[in-house]
Amino acid sequence: MDTYHDDKYFMTFDSTVKMSDAIAIEANNLTKVYRDSIRAVDGISFSVRQGEIFGLLGPNGAGKTTTIKMIITLTKATSGTLHVFGIDVFKSPETVREMLGYVPQSISVDTDLTAYENLLIFSKLSYVNKKERNERIRNALEYMDLSSRADDIVKRYSGGMMRRLEIAQALVNRPKILLLDEPSIGLDPSSKKQVWKNIKQLNQEFGTTILITTHDMGEADELCDRIAIMSEGKIAILGTPLDLKRDVGGDIVTVNLAFTPPIMSLPKEIGNIVHNNEKSIQILTTNGEEAIPLIADFFRSHEIRVESISINKANLDDVFMKYAKRRLGDEMYKATRNTRRDFARRAR
Amino acid sequence: MNIRRFLSSSITIAEMEARKIRHDSTELWTRIIQPALWLLVFGETFNAIKAMPSGNFSYIQFITPGILAQSVLFISIFYGITVVWEKDVGIITKLLSTPSPRSSIVLGKSLAAGLRGAFQAIVIFALALLIGAKIRLDPIDVAGVFAVVILFAMCFSSLSMFLASYLKTRDRMMGIGQALTMPLFFASNAIYPISVMPIWLQYVSIANPLSYAVDAIRSMLLVGTYGNLLVDMLVLFLSTIVFLVLASMSIKKLLE
Repeated sequence: MDTYHDDKYFMTFDSTVKMSDAIAIEANNLTKVYRDSIRAVDGISFSVRQGEIFGLLGPNGAGKTTTIKMIITLTKATSGTLHVFGIDVFKSPETVREMLGYVPQSISVDTDLTAYENLLIFSKLSYVNKKERNERIRNALEYMDLSSRADDIVKRYSGGMMRRLEIAQALVNRPKILLLDEPSIGLDPSSKKQVWKNIKQLNQEFGTTILITTHDMGEADELCDRIAIMSEGKIAILGTPLDLKRDVGGDIVTVNLAFTPPIMSLPKEIGNIVHNNEKSIQILTTNGEEAIPLIADFFRSHEIRVESISINKANLDDVFMKYAKRRLGDEMYKATRNTRRDFARRAR
Repeated sequence: MNIRRFLSSSITIAEMEARKIRHDSTELWTRIIQPALWLLVFGETFNAIKAMPSGNFSYIQFITPGILAQSVLFISIFYGITVVWEKDVGIITKLLSTPSPRSSIVLGKSLAAGLRGAFQAIVIFALALLIGAKIRLDPIDVAGVFAVVILFAMCFSSLSMFLASYLKTRDRMMGIGQALTMPLFFASNAIYPISVMPIWLQYVSIANPLSYAVDAIRSMLLVGTYGNLLVDMLVLFLSTIVFLVLASMSIKKLLE
C-alpha cells in the first residue's frame, strides 16, 4: 500500500505534477437516493484531474456533502460508478480510503486530546509506518503552523487553529487527494486567508489533488481551477471560474458624464449600454479593465466630459444565482442583477 | 482483512480513550459514587438485618461481585451515548474515514469500555477491602475477575453501540439505557440469589448475561470452586461476539 505515498511529499517541489492528464476522481451517473426517496445526488458525472483544485458549489442541500461522503465511502451510492485513480470506490473502500484525506464540514478533531495525540492516533489508524510516524506528524504540524502548540489540549484552540489541525490530520497519511467539505465555514477573515494559503501551498508544492465544497463564491474563485455548480442533486454547470463569469455576461462599467449626452450608440467592441439614466450610463462589457480606456477615448472624441468611471466586475455570485437557484425562476436572477446595478449606482 | 492491522487499529482506539482519561479522569471518579452507595448503604443495612439468604457468606460479601458487575453494566450500557456524542462532534465520521476496517473501530470502542470497567473493578476491590468484606485475593482469581469485567463491558458496550446505530440521539439512548439497566439488574443474581425469585423471573435471569458475569465473579472472588465458570465464560464470550458483529454491521447507520 505504501506505493501510493510519495516519500518526499513534504520536500519536493515539482510543478510538473500540477495538472497532469491523469484522472483522480471519476464519477459516472452517480446517484444517491435516501430512504425517504429524496434524490440527494441525481445522476451526476464529472472527473477531477490529478493536481487540480476542483470546487463543488451549491446552496445547502444541493448534494455536495453527499457526493463527498460517497467518495470517502461513508455512504454508498444508489447507482452509478465512482473511481479514485481507477479503483472502484464501492468494491475496495479501504484501499480508496488509504489514498484520501478528508476534512469534514464540522470540526471533528478530538478536543479532549492534544494536537500531537490527534495526529498520532490518526496516523496509527492510517497505518503510517512506525519509523516515519513522528517525522510526518512533526512535518504536518509545522506545515500548518501549529508546532508551538502541539502539546496543548485542542479544547483551548481557536476555530482557525482547529481547522488547520484538521487539515494537518488529513495530511499525515500523505493523501493523493484531499477532500475538504466547507473548509472555511465559521472562520474569521484572517483565519480563512491562512487556511486558503495552506490549501494552495499543498496543491502547488506537492501536487495534491483537492476537491473542495463551498457555498462561498469568493473562496471558489480564489482557490479553484475548475468549478461545478450543483443544484438539487444535479450539476448545473461546470467550467473554470473565468468561463463561468463570462457566461453571465461580463463586467458593468458605469460612466458618469458632466451633462446629459444626446442619444448615441457605442461601437460594438466596447459593449452594450444596458442602462441609461441621463448623465449616468451603464455599459456591459466582456472585460471591464480593457473597456475603460476605450470608453474614455470614445467620450473624449465626442467631446463629452467624463466625471468618473467605475467598474463592477462580474463575480461568481452572479453565476451562482443564475444556476444554483434557477428553479426560483429568472425573476430572482433579474432582481439580483438589478440590485447589483442599484448598488453600483449608489456606490458612486 | 489483515488481522495485524485489524488488531492494531482496535488497540489504537482503546489508546485514544486511555489518553483522554489521562487528561481528565473526573468522570471515572464520579462513576464510583453509585457502587459505593450500594455497598456502604444498601449492603451494610441488609447485612445487619440478615434478610437475604446469602448462604455461607455475609450479605456484604455476597453483594460485592454483584455491585461490581452492576457498575460495569451501567458504564457499558450507556457507552452508546459516548459514541452518539462522538458522532455529533464528527469524531466517528473521522474514524470511519480512515483506512481502518469498521469492525476494528467497534472492537476498539468496546475495549475502551473494558478499560473503564477495569478501573471500576480496581475501585470496588479497594472499597470492599476498606469495609472489610472478605474476598479471595488469589492473583489468578483477581486476573480472572478483570478478564470477566472487561469481557462483560465489551459485551454490553457493543450492544449499546448496536442500539445507538439505530436510535442515533443521546436522549433516546438515555431512555433505552434506563429502560434496560433496571430489568437486567433486578432479573439477575446481583443482589439476591436466583433461588428466591419467582419462577418466571428465574427463567428471565437465565437469559440475562449479567447473571453469568456475576456468577463468574462470585465463583472466583468468594467461592473458589469453578463448576459453572466454563459455562459462564462461554455465554459471555458468545454474546460479546454476537453483539460485536451486530454493532460492526450497523455502525455505519449511525452516520445516516
